[in-house]
Amino acid sequence: MSNPSHALEAPIAEEETPSSLDEDAVERVSQGAPSWLSARRKHAWSVFEDTPLPSMRSEEWRYTDVSRVVDFADLQLATHGALAEDGSRPAGLAAAMDEDYAASGHTVLMDGAVVHVDLEPALAEQGVILTSLKSAVHEHGDLLEELLATEVVPPEEGKFEALNAALWTDGVLLYVPANVKLDLPIRATRWVSDPGSAVCTRTLIVAEPGSQVSYVEELLSEDFERRTLVSSAVEVIARDGARVQYVSIQRLGRGTFCQSAQRTLAYRDSTLDTLNVNLGGSVSRLDLNARLLGPGAHSDMLGLYFGDEDQHFDHNTSQDHVAPDTGSDLLYKGALDEHSRAAFRGIIRVHPDAQRTDAYQTNRTLLLSEEARADSLPNLEIEADDVKCSHGASVGQLDSEALFYLLSRGLSQQQAERLVVLGFLGDVMSRLPLGGVVDKVTRAIERKLKSV
Amino acid sequence: MSDGGEGDGEWIRVADLDECPPGSLLEVEAGQELLVLANVDGDVYALENRCSHQDLPLSDGELEGDRLECLYHGARFDVCTGKAMELPAVKPVATYVVELRGRDIFVQI
Amino acid sequence: MPENELVKGLGLDEYQYGFVDDEAHVFRTRPGLDEDIVRQISKHKDEPEWMLEFRLKALKIYERKPMPTWGGDLSDLEATLDEIYFYVKPQDHMERSWDDVPDTIKTTFERLGIPDAEQKLLAGVGAQYESEMVYHSLKEEWSSQGVIFDSIEDGLKNHPELFREHFATIIPAADNKFAALNSAVWSGGSFVYVPRGVELKTPLQAYFRVNQERMGQFERTLIIIDEGAQAHYIEGCTAPVYSTESFHSGVIEIVLKKDARFRYTTIQNWSNNMYNLVTQRAVVNENATMEWLDGNLGSKLTMKYPSCYLMGEGAHGEIMSIAYASDGQHQDTGGKVVHVAPNTTSSIISKSISKGHGRSSYRGLCKVYEGAINARSNVECDALLIDETSRTDTYPYIEIEEKRSSVGHEATVSRVGDAQLFYLMSRGLTQEEAMALIVRGFIEPIAKELPLEYAVELNRLIELEMEGSVG
Repeated sequence: MSNPSHALEAPIAEEETPSSLDEDAVERVSQGAPSWLSARRKHAWSVFEDTPLPSMRSEEWRYTDVSRVVDFADLQLATHGALAEDGSRPAGLAAAMDEDYAASGHTVLMDGAVVHVDLEPALAEQGVILTSLKSAVHEHGDLLEELLATEVVPPEEGKFEALNAALWTDGVLLYVPANVKLDLPIRATRWVSDPGSAVCTRTLIVAEPGSQVSYVEELLSEDFERRTLVSSAVEVIARDGARVQYVSIQRLGRGTFCQSAQRTLAYRDSTLDTLNVNLGGSVSRLDLNARLLGPGAHSDMLGLYFGDEDQHFDHNTSQDHVAPDTGSDLLYKGALDEHSRAAFRGIIRVHPDAQRTDAYQTNRTLLLSEEARADSLPNLEIEADDVKCSHGASVGQLDSEALFYLLSRGLSQQQAERLVVLGFLGDVMSRLPLGGVVDKVTRAIERKLKSV
Repeated sequence: MSDGGEGDGEWIRVADLDECPPGSLLEVEAGQELLVLANVDGDVYALENRCSHQDLPLSDGELEGDRLECLYHGARFDVCTGKAMELPAVKPVATYVVELRGRDIFVQI
Repeated sequence: MPENELVKGLGLDEYQYGFVDDEAHVFRTRPGLDEDIVRQISKHKDEPEWMLEFRLKALKIYERKPMPTWGGDLSDLEATLDEIYFYVKPQDHMERSWDDVPDTIKTTFERLGIPDAEQKLLAGVGAQYESEMVYHSLKEEWSSQGVIFDSIEDGLKNHPELFREHFATIIPAADNKFAALNSAVWSGGSFVYVPRGVELKTPLQAYFRVNQERMGQFERTLIIIDEGAQAHYIEGCTAPVYSTESFHSGVIEIVLKKDARFRYTTIQNWSNNMYNLVTQRAVVNENATMEWLDGNLGSKLTMKYPSCYLMGEGAHGEIMSIAYASDGQHQDTGGKVVHVAPNTTSSIISKSISKGHGRSSYRGLCKVYEGAINARSNVECDALLIDETSRTDTYPYIEIEEKRSSVGHEATVSRVGDAQLFYLMSRGLTQEEAMALIVRGFIEPIAKELPLEYAVELNRLIELEMEGSVG
């Protein structure tokens, strides 16, 4: 860390009573906001109200009965996370931060608010912006007015996207000016402490032409008795020739429903890669849409999940090849133990003008227990002819040959199984070799494997 | 979740008999579970309210004698045993023990 | 003739079955559908009361169910269904002797090659014209062994118990909107029973022909293959080319008892104004083997996913499908395999070719229920795109609840490679010949499974279609 201080700023001392998810809450979060933002929130709220809760009868929600997971009437809007009396960090957050690695900048969110931001001064001098969305509304209003919750993740995308656009309380803006290259990642640590709340935050990343940046966020909480909603909207834009990596490591506690809507826009000759690691939460739902908008754009889309107990993962991805000469390569792999369940629904869409598209999509799941269940639905919609597209999906057991080999080398059954699972999942991380991230994720998976 | 008869679950009052007259189906909540009650000529049965074919609610369906027909794809279940009697369902749905105490319908979860 | 212009405009002039006969019917219902029409159909068939009740209930289900929002574009279908004839009775009796079939109908089938086919060692032949089977025959050799090959109506009349035991238990009326529609207005189709241990050496063949403009054909077929029995059933479908849409919606239910083997081959070459929405499902018991060979070449829109429910240990299901979509066509086809019992195996191989503005979609399901230990399934889909305006989609659903199983799915999309074309042309082939050769090579793994005359026809069709196509 360039900045040695981990100190969390004390939350601003405004007394806020818990607020239900309703129009009053929209009014409240709009206080002091510019009129464009209030109007946008109001509009999003009306979309939310007009949009029914997704039903399993709809194709997109076929594998998740969200009516059993979320009850909006039961949730309170999360605002500021509470620090301990003595101002110290919660133990889980401290532990996660202890294994931190070198970064160019760092933000910490507690519940619905950014409580800490630091950025290498040299980068700030070059015009890099890393700030809370709440302050960006005033300091970088034009940028937000143009990009926030408009073309990238608009409220019309769905019920949860509308909720988030109406009620987001804070989030992160990362802006990298043209040709500025960050060697070390920007990190975000998100801690959720308030059971029974709806935490709605957003992330907006804009990488101008020729710039380069990695962003790694981690979601953490303890286990909750009460159902808690953690809603994220992530918007990532890579302008011409930019290189962006977005990584999300989700290690929320049980009792949380982690809902994340992510969209990436890749322009000419840019590279925009994502890695979504889902290990925690009771239910997690990812909607990831990668749009390849300029010739030469490429996106690697990686995913990793490991489930146990009755965890439920639902991944809904799409690869939209809009411009010619674009590429995308998706690889989602996971292992499911105990009663856990995972669904993958992915689609490659090659639009009519997107000739010379190379698009691949692979989903592989290991079932480690009798009760685990995996659903996979890799789709293709191809409207151009000069393309190379393929997809594959498989569901099966541990590779018995590899197991046998390890057993013959004297490993115990348990050790051998762990190694085979790690090997199976490891090739996802080898595709996005961000030092600190690989270690962190490997450790997190090992911790889950130990309980197997 | 049990297939009944274990006797150690919690008894929960789920409905009044008037809400589920003979020949009808009724969706009820019992703790965390969503159940469907089926009244076959005065005898009430309780099943998990989720078709084993595509997880859609059985309470939207129709009761013919002791056969529950799912509204969505026509799968048929024996409400006494939960057994799938006709395609497209092939797996049973869970059943629960029901007791009538006066007009109150109790289910053991 | 306006038809001819249309035929030319759509590039369908090679469609050799596009001729129109004079209308020949003894009775037809008025266009559209309501309870009264359903009652009329039932009355004309002199059915038992339970069947009328079944039909009326199915009509209600049909009216209640929304149009599917997936698959092909059905937005114009509702209007089409208001206009079509749901029941057209071509003649008074079904004939057992070819000579007794009325001349107009006979000429049609002769042009389609039926008497020819019968000579080619078929075990039996059935022919449906509009809403009724007009001809059914089964060789004495097989009828004497107890094989039944009859119209579905005669199946209901002559074998009421066997019929009722299985009818609509494999595909209930509520299964989907079009199964409900068929259940309400079904007419024609075959009733097949092959007794225990009987092995039919040559295929049974059924021809389906729609002649009437704005016609809906709703055949219903029920096939029961008893323990250890074997058979092969082939259906072929054609219709004239009209400027208005016609509609075909069949329901095919098949039961394979223990150790049975059965293959169902479809060569669907409907004209390009036909909606073809079919539900086909087989229940496969212990150690039985079901094979669907599904060729979809014609129609405006086909939605058809033959399925195998592998209910008994060791059951095997196989689906091989070829789809060909040209201008104005959408083939939304595929297959479903449902593994319920241990040691069940399945394979789906799908090959599609999209040309011009054609669109072909593979839609499939592989489901492994808990308890289907050692289930193995493999799905391979390959799509070939001929033109830059062609479209292909793949929608495979994979749902696995059993750890001790292995399921794989692979799909590729490719175009005819310039290098491949160039090589063949450098060896003296014209571009059309080269293209046809490449396409034939692409579908060869499935085409070789077809009965010879169909394989020949498929090749001929592809050659015709490749004429004038630019790589």
